[in-house]
Amino acid sequence: MAEKLNGLDVIGFPDRKEGLQKKHRIGETIIQSLLFFAGFFSIFTTIGIVYELGKEAWLFFRLPEVNLWKFLTGIKWQPHIGEFGILPLATATLVTTAIAMLVAIPLGLAAAIYLSEYATKKTRNTLKPVLEILAGIPTIVYGYFALTFVTPLLRSIFGNGIVEIYNTGSAGLVMGILILPLIASISEDALNAVPRSLREAAYGLGATKLEVAIKIVLPAALSGIAAAVILGISRAIGETMIVAVAAGAGPNFTLNPFKGAETMTGHIVRISGGDLSYDSIDYNSIFAIGLMLFMLTLTLNIVSQRIVRRFREMYE
Amino acid sequence: MRKNLFVSMFVLVIAVLVLSACGPSATPTAEVPANTPVPPTETAVPTIDPLGMYLPDAVSGDIVTAGSSTVFPLSERMSQRFSEEGFTGNLTIDSIGSGAGFERFCVNGETDISNASRAIKTSEAESCRAIGREPLSFRVGTDALAVVVSSENTFATDVTLAELAQIFSTAGNWSDVRPGWPKEPILRFIPGTDSGTFDYFVEKVMAPANLNAAGKADLALGETAILAAANLQMSEDDNVLVQGVEGSPYAIGFFGFAYYQENAGRLNILSVESVTPNEQTAEDNTYPISRPLFIYSTAQIMQEKPQVAAFILFYLTHVNDEILDVGYFPASQAVLDEALNTWHTAVGK
Repeated sequence: MAEKLNGLDVIGFPDRKEGLQKKHRIGETIIQSLLFFAGFFSIFTTIGIVYELGKEAWLFFRLPEVNLWKFLTGIKWQPHIGEFGILPLATATLVTTAIAMLVAIPLGLAAAIYLSEYATKKTRNTLKPVLEILAGIPTIVYGYFALTFVTPLLRSIFGNGIVEIYNTGSAGLVMGILILPLIASISEDALNAVPRSLREAAYGLGATKLEVAIKIVLPAALSGIAAAVILGISRAIGETMIVAVAAGAGPNFTLNPFKGAETMTGHIVRISGGDLSYDSIDYNSIFAIGLMLFMLTLTLNIVSQRIVRRFREMYE
Repeated sequence: MRKNLFVSMFVLVIAVLVLSACGPSATPTAEVPANTPVPPTETAVPTIDPLGMYLPDAVSGDIVTAGSSTVFPLSERMSQRFSEEGFTGNLTIDSIGSGAGFERFCVNGETDISNASRAIKTSEAESCRAIGREPLSFRVGTDALAVVVSSENTFATDVTLAELAQIFSTAGNWSDVRPGWPKEPILRFIPGTDSGTFDYFVEKVMAPANLNAAGKADLALGETAILAAANLQMSEDDNVLVQGVEGSPYAIGFFGFAYYQENAGRLNILSVESVTPNEQTAEDNTYPISRPLFIYSTAQIMQEKPQVAAFILFYLTHVNDEILDVGYFPASQAVLDEALNTWHTAVGK
């Protein structure tokens, strides 16, 4: 059916084109301008966000009691009493992100290799949507999963005395599960894009299936995989609900994943959840954190684009 | 084909426009009957005729309230009863802390009623007046601040105020407070800095233990001491604190008594200066950290929005039926009468 329609389209094409050139069609113009506005709108929103973040963060850094050096190196964050060291929040973000990536990279890559190299078409068509369902679960649900399932599990393994009720470890583990489909899906696309001829050449030389997957396909798709990993990291840094629910509600300068600590995003959520007045220094401080987050993820995204461009292998 | 698509889309758009234009014109006519006052017949509140217009089913419109998470369960219960008695409007209660509640009430002027677990501060009252709102306070009950540990905690049962200040600031391990207690780090779970509970705790416990150069209790020093403590988790959501304290035998926290009562099976409450918090010790003020609960509004709001006046009247009349069940302690009749007097003066009836 579709083919038939396509065929008709191709036959009718030249006539229509002439008609398009002659006649000025108002509908076309309207749709074009609507599309333009849609594109413009997203750019405008980004500019608006950057402006607002920058403005409010500037208000914060301009304050006499705030000092950029202390902001970046201080190990205590308690704006209410004039302590503005972002490190406790940053380390918590680092710990949760690192744990999430420890879960998501190996599992995600393994899933991607299986799906692209080993799975039959039928298994693939069932498995991939199932994997993508994981990505569709609301993050708040993941948060309570971490708090009410993973934390008790960790506590039963390592002992109640070692694992605190709110801890960055369980938040990180669950965040890894959340990010797994993202990494698996993008990596799988990258693996799939490696031309068949490369695989066949390797098979021709007597390589096993595993050798082809690990030594030929994986390196060839490295740029795509690196991009997937970096996107995963930005997602982990920006992830909010899971850490807000499960990681803890107080800035804590520690690298111990069994202790409670508040990440940058978690802190913003708690502070903006209504418990602060708008003209207080605490309120301005969350924009400084927001700006830091924005710059972090922006840098990562730029790096990932560079990597993709630099290491892309061309096979045409 | 394509032309047909455009035509049908056009028709669809027109249809939507026509329908949405019809919508609003239909609603006002439907709303009119709801506004006609229902004649007062039999009433649960004092059966004086002029008050008939303040019955729950005689008023309509929205009521916006925000503030203390301590007062929240009480206000929620009263709002439930208010709706059961026939109020059909929307009553929202945001649990955001007393300070943030006053921020919305006095600075932005968004709310009709502000819930507070402490009296309004002079600075807050000033910002209220700056936007033409003269705050009126109605005391609705008493809370005994519950200092709680996990039910797994076997060592702590009683603390003094001085020990409490130490536990929530300088002490690292439990053994630093009393030699007999275990040498384990204290995990602290406290309400956020904008909650009335936090302010009250700083004022009653932390400040007296942190004297300034002149030897007087110092609020700022007390606040710094508690916020500088290690292993500190803060949340405006008292359930987060309950869960945190419950999680470890070495955790401690404090919050409104209602949240303790709700979770009494999983938490142990400490007596303070050898006084156990209960109805009697809260009322006669022997429990050292009991405090009044308030709702705030203004005469102008109450006159402009009869539903707000109606809710406050209902609150004051029925609060004592519910307050023990919610987990707080009743204010004395004299205090409630005074609040009712304030109400009558405000609405001019």
